[in-house]
Amino acid sequence: MNNTEIEVLLVEDNMNDAELAIRALSKSKIGSNLVHVKDGSSAIDFLFGKGLFAGRNINNRPKLILLDLKMPKMDGIEVLTIIKDNELTKKIPVVVLTSSKENPDIERAYALGANSYIVKPVEFDGFIRAVSEIGSYWLLYNQYPV
Amino acid sequence: MFKHPIDKEKEPNELLIANQQLAFQYEEMEKRITELIIANKELLIQNVEKEKRTEELIIANKELIFQNREKEAQAEELIAASKEVVERTTQLESANRELESFSYSVSHDLRAPLRAVNGYARILEEDYNSLFDAEGKRLLGEVQNNAKKMGTLIDDLLSFSRLGRKEIKKTNVDMNVLTEAVLIEIGQAVPHHATIKFGHLLPLKADHALMERVMTNLLSNAIKYSSKKEYPAVEIVSKKEGDQIIYSIKDNGVGFDMQYGHKLFGVFQRLHSTEEFPGTGVGLAIVQRIVHKHEGRIWAEGKEGAGATFFFSMPT
Repeated sequence: MNNTEIEVLLVEDNMNDAELAIRALSKSKIGSNLVHVKDGSSAIDFLFGKGLFAGRNINNRPKLILLDLKMPKMDGIEVLTIIKDNELTKKIPVVVLTSSKENPDIERAYALGANSYIVKPVEFDGFIRAVSEIGSYWLLYNQYPV
Repeated sequence: MFKHPIDKEKEPNELLIANQQLAFQYEEMEKRITELIIANKELLIQNVEKEKRTEELIIANKELIFQNREKEAQAEELIAASKEVVERTTQLESANRELESFSYSVSHDLRAPLRAVNGYARILEEDYNSLFDAEGKRLLGEVQNNAKKMGTLIDDLLSFSRLGRKEIKKTNVDMNVLTEAVLIEIGQAVPHHATIKFGHLLPLKADHALMERVMTNLLSNAIKYSSKKEYPAVEIVSKKEGDQIIYSIKDNGVGFDMQYGHKLFGVFQRLHSTEEFPGTGVGLAIVQRIVHKHEGRIWAEGKEGAGATFFFSMPT
C-alpha cells in the first residue's frame, strides 16, 4: 500500500451495489482514491493495518467511510462500534448506506456515532444522485478537524 | 322430767310460732322450687336453642369450607389462565419480532437486486447507447420501469404489513386542516385540474398520521379516477349519525361495477388495468386496515362510468 491519500473506504458486500456506487463516485469525479472492502472484518483490518493490510500506514485515514449495515460475519453495526470507539478512527465521518428504512438499527447507528444514515434508493438515478451528493458533501464541503 | 308451769303455758305459743315459721319456710321452698322449675325449663329451652345454633354453625362451617374450596379452585384456575395469557403474549411478541425481521429482510434483500437490474439497464443505456436502436431503447426502458414498479410494490406491501403492528395514537384531528394539507401535497406530487369541494368537516379523535394516509389515498384515488373527465369534480362531506361520524369522498370519475365492489379493499386487487390507471392495488387495503384499527367501517358505492363515493365511519 502506498501513501496516496485515500478518500473513500467503501464497505459493501453486495458487488453490484459496490460497482454502482463506485461508478457514481467516479462519474462525479470524487473518490478517485477509493478502497473497496467486502466485509466488516476487512474494513477493520484496513483501518488498523492488520491481516491482509498488515504494514499499511494506518495514519493514512480515509476521508469518508461508506458503510453497508447488512454484511456477513462482522456487520456494519460492529464495524461502527469499533471505529467510533477508537481514537485513531473515531473522527472519520461514517455514512451508513443501507437498503432499508425498516432497519431497527437506524437508532443504534446514530447512537454509536454514525454521521449520516442513507437508504439506498431503488432507482438508479436516485442511487447515483445520493452517492455523488454524499461524496461531494463529505469530501468537498465538509470541514474536518485538522 | 320437771317442767315449770309457766313454761308449760309457753309451749303452745312457741309451737305456734315454730309452726308459722315452718309454714313460711315451706312457702319459700315452694317458691324456690317453682323458680327452679322455671329456671330449669328456661335452661332446657336455651339448651335446645344452643343445640340448634350448634347445628346451624356446623352447617355454616361446612358451607364455608365448601366455599373456600371453590375459591381455591377458582384461584388456581385464574393462575392457570394468567399463565396462559403470559405465554400467549410471549408467543405473540416473538411472532411480532419475527414479522419485523421478516419485513426488514424483505425490504433489504428484495430491493438490492432491483437496484442492480435498474442500474445495469441504465449503464447499458449510458455506455452503449449507440448500439441500441429505438426498439432496443424502448425495451431497456421497460426493464427500468418494471424495476421501479416492483420497488413501489415492495414499499406499499411493507407499509401495509407495518400498519398491522402499529399502535394508534389518538388525538383531536381537525379534518379541515388535514384535508387542506393533504390536497396541497397531492397537487404538488401530481398536478391535476379537478375541482375539489368541501364545506365544514367534523373533527374526530384519531391517529393524525394515519388519517392523513386515509385521506391521501382516498383523495388521490378520486382525483386519479376522474382525471379523464372534462370537468373532474371531487366532493368531501361529513355527517354525524348516532355515535359515528361518516365521511364521504365522491368523484365523477370512471366509477366501478358494484358487483366487484367487495374486491376494492383487497390487497393487490384492482378493478382497472395499470395501463388505464397506474397503481399497485395496495392503497385501499391500507385505508381499510387503518379504518378498522380505529373501529370504523369503510364501504363504497359506484356505477360504471358514473363516479364513485367512498364512505368511512369513525366512532366519536
